[in-house]
Amino acid sequence: MTDDTVHEEWQPKIVAFVCNWCTYAGADLAGISRLQYPPNVRLVRLPCSGRVNPFYVVKALQEGADGVLVSGCHPGECHYLTGNLSARRKFAMLKNFLAYIGVEPDRTLFTWVSASEGEKFSHVIKGVTDKVKALGPAQRLVKRF
Amino acid sequence: MEKIEQEIRKTAEKLLTDNKVDVVVGYEEGTLPAQAVPVVIESPEDADRLVWNAFCSVNLAKYVHDIIFRHRESQKRVKPEDRTKKVVGIVTRGCTSRSLILHLQEKQYDADQVVMIGVPCTGFVSKKKLSHAVEGREVTACTHEGETLAVTTAAGTTNVPLKQVLADNCLTCRFNNPVISDILLGDPAPPMNADTEYGEVEEFENLTEEERWSYFKKETAKCMKCYACRNTCPSCYCKVCFVEQSQPKWVGAGVDESDTEVFQVMRMFHMAGRCVDCGSCSEVCPMGVDLRKFLKKLDKDAFDLFGYRTGESLDKLPPFGAHAVEDKQDFIYEPNASQ
Repeated sequence: MTDDTVHEEWQPKIVAFVCNWCTYAGADLAGISRLQYPPNVRLVRLPCSGRVNPFYVVKALQEGADGVLVSGCHPGECHYLTGNLSARRKFAMLKNFLAYIGVEPDRTLFTWVSASEGEKFSHVIKGVTDKVKALGPAQRLVKRF
Repeated sequence: MEKIEQEIRKTAEKLLTDNKVDVVVGYEEGTLPAQAVPVVIESPEDADRLVWNAFCSVNLAKYVHDIIFRHRESQKRVKPEDRTKKVVGIVTRGCTSRSLILHLQEKQYDADQVVMIGVPCTGFVSKKKLSHAVEGREVTACTHEGETLAVTTAAGTTNVPLKQVLADNCLTCRFNNPVISDILLGDPAPPMNADTEYGEVEEFENLTEEERWSYFKKETAKCMKCYACRNTCPSCYCKVCFVEQSQPKWVGAGVDESDTEVFQVMRMFHMAGRCVDCGSCSEVCPMGVDLRKFLKKLDKDAFDLFGYRTGESLDKLPPFGAHAVEDKQDFIYEPNASQ
C-alpha cells in the first residue's frame, strides 16, 4: 500500500421502497430541480406503498442494507385510494416489533412524500442517511455466508 | 372435569349417530403419562376414547382446517352435483373457539361445516414446566386431584401444585370460556389472571436494546427450523408456506444464524393480529424457544394500536384487513426543513 492511500470512510447502503405515483415522482422532481442529496440511497419503485410486503424490509436488512426507507403518498392522496393506509398499519406494527427484538429503530423509517415535494424528498434522504450513518454498519440480522 | 368428559362423550356419540357430523375432533389419552393427544373419531362407538383433562394441550382448530381442506382436495375430480361437504365436530375450549372465529373471518370455510362443542377450560399442563418441577426425571405416572398433581418418578411420588406447572399462556388467559359454540357444556370456568397478561412484555420492553437483541439472538440460536410451531399453529394454514417458497427465497437453508432469525421474525409477523396465544407453539417446540415473549408483543400492539383481540367476536375483523383514517402515525419520520 502506498503512503498516500486514502482510507475510505464507510458509506451506508440505504434501500428505499417508494411508491410510483408520489414519492418516486417527488424524487424525480428533486433530480430535475438539481437538488443535492446524499447518493447512498437505492430506490426500488413499486406501484403503491401498500404493495410493500413487510418482509421486503426484513430481507433487505438481512442482505446487508444499513437502513430501509418506505415512502408513499400522504393519507387521502393514494392513487389506489387506501393502499397507503394499509401500509401505515403494517409498518406501525413492524417498526414496533423490530425495535422490540433489538434492531435499532432508526434503521427502518417510514415517510409520506408527495409528487410535488422534491425538496422534502432531498431532506428525507439527508435525514435518513445521517441517522443511519450515526448507527454504523448493520450488524444485527445480517447474513454473513 | 369428569362430568364434562362424560358430556363430551355423550354429545359426540349423539352427533355421530344422528349424522350431524362426519367426524369429531377431540383429545384422547396419550401413550405417555401426563399427556392427552388429539384424536379424530368417525364412529359413535369410539366416543368413549374422548377425554377432557388438564393434559389436553394443543389447539385443535388446526385439525378442523386440515380435514376440511383435504376433503375439498379429494373432491376436485368429482362432478359438482355429486360433491359432498364434510362437517367436523370439535371439542372447543376458549382459544380453540378464537382460532375457529379467525378461520371463519378469513373465509376458510362456512360456519355450517363445523359444530363447536364448547367446554370451559382451566388451563393445560406444560410438559416442560412439569419436567422442571421434578428436576428433569422421567415421569412414570401422573394424576390430577383438585389443585395438585401427584407425580411419580424413579425418586418416588411428589405433590406438585397445579398452578406451578400450568402453561404460561393459560395463567393469564382472558378467554378461557368459548367465545362461540354450537353446543355449550358445563358451567363457565372461573377467570384466570388476564390483567397480568402483558407483564412479561412490559418487563422486556424496559430492558436495553443490547439486552433485548442478545436475548432474541440466544433464543433463536436454539431454533433448528423443524417447523413444529408452524405445523401446530391453527393460524398457519397456507397451502404453500413462505418457508417452502423458492421464488423469492425468504428463508435460506444454510447454517447462518440470520436465516433462523429471519424465519422467526417472519413467522411471528405473520401472526400479527392473528395469534390467539393458545401456547401450542411453545408446547411443541422441541428446543424450548421462548416464542411467546415475542408473539405476546404483537398481541399487545394489536390491542394498543387497533383495539383488537384476535377472535374476540365474529364481527370484529383482523387489523390488517382494514384501515382507518384516524390510525396513529407518530412513527412517521418528518425531516426538519433545515436539513
